[in-house]
Amino acid sequence: MSGDSLIPVLTPAGPYAGSITMLAWLLIAMATAVLAIVIAALWIAFAGSDRLKSRLGGSRTIWIGGIGVPVVILTVLLVYGLSLTRNLTAPVPAETMRVRITGEMWWWRVAYLDETGEAFMIDANELHIPAGRPVLLELESNDVIHSFWVPQLSGKLDMVPGRRNTMPIQADAPGVFSGQCAEYCGGPHALMGFVVIAHEPADFDRMMTERRASRTPVLGTGAELFQRTGCAACHRIAGTKANGTAGPDLTHVGTRRSLGAGILPNNRGTLMGWIGDSQAIKPGNRMPPYKMLSAAELEAIASYLEAQR
Amino acid sequence: MRTWALLLAGLVIWTVHFFALYIVGSIWLTTPLARALTLALTLLCTGAIAMFLVRARRYLPETAMDRWVRSISLVGLGVSAVAILWQGLPALLI
Amino acid sequence: MRTETGFDHSLYDRFPTSDPRPEGELEELERIWCAPKGWQLLTAVNNNYIGIFYVGAAFLFFLLAGILALVMRVQLALPLQGILPQETYNQFFTMHGTVMMFLFAVPMVEAIGVLLLPQMLAARDLPFPRLSAYAFWAYFVGGLCFFASLFFGLAPDGGWFMYPPYTSLTYSPGINADFWLLGIGFIEISAIAGAIEIIVGVLRTRAPGMTLDKMPVYAWAMLVLGVMIIIAFPSVILGTLLLELERAFNWPFFDPTRGGDALLWQHLFWFFGHPEVYIIFLPASGLVSMMVAAMARTPLVGHNLIVLAFLATGFISFGVWAHHMFTTGLPNLSIGFFSAASMAVSVPAGIQIFSWIATFAVGRPRFNAPTLFLLGGMVTFVVGGLTGVMVAMVPFDWQAHDSYFIVAHLHYVLLGGMVFPMFAAFYYWTPMTSRHPLSERLGKWAFWLMFAGMQVTFWPMHLTGLMGMPRRVYTYLPGREWEVTNMISSVGAFMLAAGVLLFLIDVARSFRFTTDHDAGNIYDGGTLEWLPTGLYSARSIPVVKSREPLWEDPGLAEDVKAGRYLLPGSATGLRETIVTSPLLAEPQYLQIIPGPSVWPFLAAIFTAGFFILLTIQAYTPSFTCGVLAVVCVLRWLWDTDRRVKEVTVDAGAGVRLPTYVTGPSTHGWWAMIILLIVVGMIFVMALFSFFYLFGVQSQFWQAPAPAGHLAIILPAYLAAAGLALLSRRMLAREKTEHWTPGVLYLCAAAALAAGVGADMWSWIGSGLVPEASGQGATVYALLSLEVLLVGVGVLMACYLCARNSRGMIVRPRNNSLDLCVLWVVYAAAQGSMTGVLTRLVGA
Repeated sequence: MSGDSLIPVLTPAGPYAGSITMLAWLLIAMATAVLAIVIAALWIAFAGSDRLKSRLGGSRTIWIGGIGVPVVILTVLLVYGLSLTRNLTAPVPAETMRVRITGEMWWWRVAYLDETGEAFMIDANELHIPAGRPVLLELESNDVIHSFWVPQLSGKLDMVPGRRNTMPIQADAPGVFSGQCAEYCGGPHALMGFVVIAHEPADFDRMMTERRASRTPVLGTGAELFQRTGCAACHRIAGTKANGTAGPDLTHVGTRRSLGAGILPNNRGTLMGWIGDSQAIKPGNRMPPYKMLSAAELEAIASYLEAQR
Repeated sequence: MRTWALLLAGLVIWTVHFFALYIVGSIWLTTPLARALTLALTLLCTGAIAMFLVRARRYLPETAMDRWVRSISLVGLGVSAVAILWQGLPALLI
Repeated sequence: MRTETGFDHSLYDRFPTSDPRPEGELEELERIWCAPKGWQLLTAVNNNYIGIFYVGAAFLFFLLAGILALVMRVQLALPLQGILPQETYNQFFTMHGTVMMFLFAVPMVEAIGVLLLPQMLAARDLPFPRLSAYAFWAYFVGGLCFFASLFFGLAPDGGWFMYPPYTSLTYSPGINADFWLLGIGFIEISAIAGAIEIIVGVLRTRAPGMTLDKMPVYAWAMLVLGVMIIIAFPSVILGTLLLELERAFNWPFFDPTRGGDALLWQHLFWFFGHPEVYIIFLPASGLVSMMVAAMARTPLVGHNLIVLAFLATGFISFGVWAHHMFTTGLPNLSIGFFSAASMAVSVPAGIQIFSWIATFAVGRPRFNAPTLFLLGGMVTFVVGGLTGVMVAMVPFDWQAHDSYFIVAHLHYVLLGGMVFPMFAAFYYWTPMTSRHPLSERLGKWAFWLMFAGMQVTFWPMHLTGLMGMPRRVYTYLPGREWEVTNMISSVGAFMLAAGVLLFLIDVARSFRFTTDHDAGNIYDGGTLEWLPTGLYSARSIPVVKSREPLWEDPGLAEDVKAGRYLLPGSATGLRETIVTSPLLAEPQYLQIIPGPSVWPFLAAIFTAGFFILLTIQAYTPSFTCGVLAVVCVLRWLWDTDRRVKEVTVDAGAGVRLPTYVTGPSTHGWWAMIILLIVVGMIFVMALFSFFYLFGVQSQFWQAPAPAGHLAIILPAYLAAAGLALLSRRMLAREKTEHWTPGVLYLCAAAALAAGVGADMWSWIGSGLVPEASGQGATVYALLSLEVLLVGVGVLMACYLCARNSRGMIVRPRNNSLDLCVLWVVYAAAQGSMTGVLTRLVGA
């Protein structure tokens, strides 16, 4: 997807990921230094001068190199690491926006929650957040264990059925950040991606207001086909009779940057291809192929979906 | 029996410390009570290590084997002490 | 301590003897220890044969799993390749990990132990040769059947750690997961059997005078290995049992909708899984320590520190398991404890590295094939250890976990910590067991290819992980440059494979197995495995006075060969070795060792058959195999515990040793105690599961069965223990009828059955069913464990009665009876605890 950095873990885009990256650099530096010392010591042991070798060849080497220095380094690291763990999991202010993301095989159910904890907007495979403010994610699973990982914004957290794990994320500035499921969940686990889009706070508020506004349903061949060929059995479009929850909510599918859970760009061609035979693109996923639909029918449904904004 | 006890004293105390902490953390999660218990257990186990260190240093070895037992025992107590102190840190830092 | 058993150490001064040995003594020894040929090889039990079979089999699995990896690397070299369909790739990576960890790594370290330990301790064989044979054949046949599941598309696909709910019946409806669960069964049996051998072997069959402080470091590493196996493996044994019960009978251990918890599996698995990697690493590092000293031609610097490092690793590795679960949402304080312990466990590894550096610096090391593999392994392992410290830091792990960074880390520690040392060991110790050594020239080429290949394959994976690629993915999308690092890794994999191929060519050209015409001590090692040997190991068992006996006494090899030490021939006309005391290695008694036997082989075949047929749901053939396996085991046991006509023998220079002893100092008693520790740990993990599920999902729990019923249950168990102990007492008394002990034991077994029967009836009456909740599942699992113990007890009762009827239960004390009594007393204790603890908590 566009806008990706090359090494996300080392190019953080928010404070949570940023503090982890600082730790990462410290660890890389420490590890490099220690490796260099060990290689140097081995070099001396084999090819060094007699004087150096005799200094190295005693149990003092073990006491210093094997116990003394490691204890010092590890103590420093442990203090840093434990403190950072606490900071990363510190509670966020009560008014922080909450979003519940539920892992499914092999997509993500996204529900924006209001102050009472009710979902006021439902989406899938994408998350919109305001830049510069923390967002609290509530991570759950409806089937097997998944793991939510968007490396530029935070570390990962598992979605374990029967539990709710919470994690704050925050982007410093507007941008697009991609992630992927990080706990093997069978089948096309490799193709279970995710996208987070951070907006200017003003743009974000405007977008949410627009989306929450009531909508006039789009009519036409596409809408009709959507109901008739059974899409509504699994998918929901707010304001229509389509109320299926087995598959991703399609109320805003026209605005999504990707399809199939972060694996295809979103355009008429890919929509048609996905509906026609998603199994060829993402084998094993839960949506059956619709090869019986003609190209015209596929195009009608695709344009109907493009209009769902 | 006594030889094994001396050899493994430090590591056995480590075991008691670790699993006691695990039980405390599992039952009381991340609460002030859990932290207090952790600190108390850490103090207790460090005290036990100190006691064994004093005893081991006073123990006069007769044979080479005895000297060996004492040496292993002392280092074992030392390494265990470090591990125990590290394990107590979360009570202060997390 | 001057003496441990009262043995007079001045007797050692009689050795080496100077009188010439009697005519024909050596020929007689060779006749008694003659090697099996042809089909008889299937009945071989001697450690030289079983050891080499075992090493060969483990290496075969290494190659098979390696081929799987090569295919995987071809697939991942480019994005969106379809060489392997998704389902097949998921099976491939699962099998790669499972076969490498369970069928290669642990068996290989045990195999090297089987081959090397008795030699290094100057024992004639391991203490339970038939058990080794059984363990090997069960592993070999079972492992091959398990691997074959790939060819039928039935291989498991849940990753080598098989997390539920994905591996529960709902999401894995086929028998693939059952192949894993039941397939691992053999490995578990083999590993436990190996652990019993090794612990008893290291503590009780050392050469006289080899006090603990003079014991080679490798023996220490193996001792710690053995103890770690018996504490860690029960956790995965129980876990696999519970998952199989959930899949087969719907008992909800891991199903959160009925009071189970997916994380319970992770706790059970990783409590085993983390010690498992140290089980793999410690013996290899023990081998490294021995080789470094030999290559540097100087005693190991920091010997005591290394022994302590093994002990510390052994203990502390049990406190780090949840560092595999940092991302699951555990409470922060607990996470902190595991992070701290994970830092602590790296200190002993550092001690070993610097000890090796210091030893090389003191000595005059040579650059030969073994040294190259040692150095390559060390550097690689240090990299892996350092990335290990990195991921012990929780916030960093939150990024690195389940990504290719971890794949890099684990391969660095496994290849550096075990595989390279293994190749070093092959080059170093082949002269001990082959007519020709391996080729130095090919070895160096193999090393450089493997080392370079390893770095090219796995170094980029650190970056791949930081670039965001998760592990266990059958493909990836283009556009993020993941194909760059993946292609490099794939090229490296073939370099590594080329190195292994060179090694195979070397083996094919040079390795010719032998027990008595070996190439000899060409690297000039100082420890006892380099004594001139035959199938019987050393001709006479030396008195050990230092850590490197061959360096300290250059004439030792000659003296041993001439029979100037202990047991220069066979004292009873049978195969024998000397059992010594654990601390000071004072000779205690003569152990009669079995020769070739077909029963362990058959028992192993039927055991493998039982598990495999059960997996494919062929129930009648499976149970038939099970019964036959039990019959073969009983037939094998029938040959044990026999007296010889000599009550004491002269083990050399007038040192007299008894030939039949009973009680807590016998190797049989020790084996039973170790087995009971294994059973006890399974019980402890089952109890953990019980209390854990109560802790996380108590809303599903009902009131426990009435505590009042304990008034029936506990006395039944008490009676069982009492009757069993009484049977032992009665045997010692002159005046009782000869059938009394057998009958008393039978009554004890009946009392056990009554106890568990009453407990079962009580729980059924309370209305709890196993499918109902986590409570139901764990209570009935605990009861089922007890039923298993009682069943074995009943079998033992029948066995004892049969032996008794043949007059084989001889007064005043008898080992068979003693061991069976231990079992019943333990079963009574476990049953009682089950009864009490399950009634402690509920609604």
